[in-house]
Amino acid sequence: MAFIEVHSLKKSFGNLEVLKNINFQVDKNEVVAIIGPSGSGKSTLLRTMINLETADGGSVCVDGEYLLKDGVYEKGPVIKNITAKMGMVFQHFHLFPHLTVKQNLELAPRIVKKEERNAVEKRSAELLAKVGLADKADAYPGNLSGGQKQRVAIARSLMMNPEILLFDEPTSALDPELTGEVLKVMKKLAHESITMIVVTHEMDFARDVADRVIFMDKGEIVETGTPEQIFNNPQHERTRAFLNIR
Amino acid sequence: MSFDYINLILRPMLEGAKVTVLLFFIVIVFSIPLGFILTLAVRSRFKPLSLLVRGYIYVMRGTPLLLQLLFIVFGLPLIPVIGDYLVLDRFFAACIGFVLNYAAYFAEIFRGGLLAIDRGQYEAAQVLGLNKFQTMTRIIIPQMFRVTLPTVTNEAVTLVKDTALLYAVAVPELLHYAQTAVNRDFTIVPFFFAGLIYLVITLIVTMFFRKLEQKYHYE
Repeated sequence: MAFIEVHSLKKSFGNLEVLKNINFQVDKNEVVAIIGPSGSGKSTLLRTMINLETADGGSVCVDGEYLLKDGVYEKGPVIKNITAKMGMVFQHFHLFPHLTVKQNLELAPRIVKKEERNAVEKRSAELLAKVGLADKADAYPGNLSGGQKQRVAIARSLMMNPEILLFDEPTSALDPELTGEVLKVMKKLAHESITMIVVTHEMDFARDVADRVIFMDKGEIVETGTPEQIFNNPQHERTRAFLNIR
Repeated sequence: MSFDYINLILRPMLEGAKVTVLLFFIVIVFSIPLGFILTLAVRSRFKPLSLLVRGYIYVMRGTPLLLQLLFIVFGLPLIPVIGDYLVLDRFFAACIGFVLNYAAYFAEIFRGGLLAIDRGQYEAAQVLGLNKFQTMTRIIIPQMFRVTLPTVTNEAVTLVKDTALLYAVAVPELLHYAQTAVNRDFTIVPFFFAGLIYLVITLIVTMFFRKLEQKYHYE
């Protein structure tokens, strides 16, 4: 059994079918990039996996535990247990503006996991150093650039020691000159033992960093394969059209 | 106009100002939390509660505060059978009226403040594992507080002046003593001093809230 398994996942907003029968698997420590045109359901897929959206049918299984089985959700505590293994980085960061960078990082480990203050402070300092923002610990998010905010958001999700990190278009809200610093941090993470699913429009990142690429269009997975296969030899017409390959 | 005279009229007026300030504090301390509870009730998924509280807010905001005060202080005791038990100390009764009225306004202010908070804040909190209570107390309420502070300040300044309505329910306060002095001495001077005292109080209130705003200006 794969680490993450998604079977016949379905989701509609009113009459609009956003996810039609999605099936895919992700192995432990794999880095998967999901690409596709806007409105293809990429973000909804990610949000459904971490229970920010409610699916209409199908199954989601993480590390042998079902979050959703054949359209039936597990009980609250079980869901919480499963989603606790996941972290999520949002397009618009969603840092807590009333807390400093350090407080943003330390809040959840302190009040959710009730960890020791010393351990939490040590880890937050390490993670801020890792994303290159050790000097911003006491700054408020309002005083950071977009790239810095996103790096704080990544560090914040890492504070909970997730086994899986979901990225929802992490660089789409950034000025082009700021995407590099975020992608660099993500590349660093990709080489560590963490499972990553990245919804992205950064084709270079998908090509260089992902183990596997999933191409979605109109609520379906059209094609999946290694970056080599998808970018150099796409099988499907829609993939070729999206990537501008004739 | 001698200092003796000013001293003579100021003394009772300052006594009256104590009542004004006391009412102000009581109303702020009780109506802000009550207003927040009303906001939560309006947002409740239990429809009858939400409707009931919306009706309450409509009535409280839709009728004059003066009418409400007269109703509580002089009206309630007229109710047959139970009226005798509703004869309250006038200051106490007025406090109840003010708190009930201001809570309705604060409820609307806080409702607006909650609407101003991005859905992403709730999502980020959920993804980090915070439960609903932690999300409210640690993430949402502090931000709501900051967003609504300027409007709350405005409301507090209005409250300082509304305390003069105590005059109408015969609770001696600042304006009452000024009016008494004017009637007795046939001079307009006490009114000026009353105005000055109100100005000083509103200045202190405004400065206090401005300090709060600076403190919670997280940038």
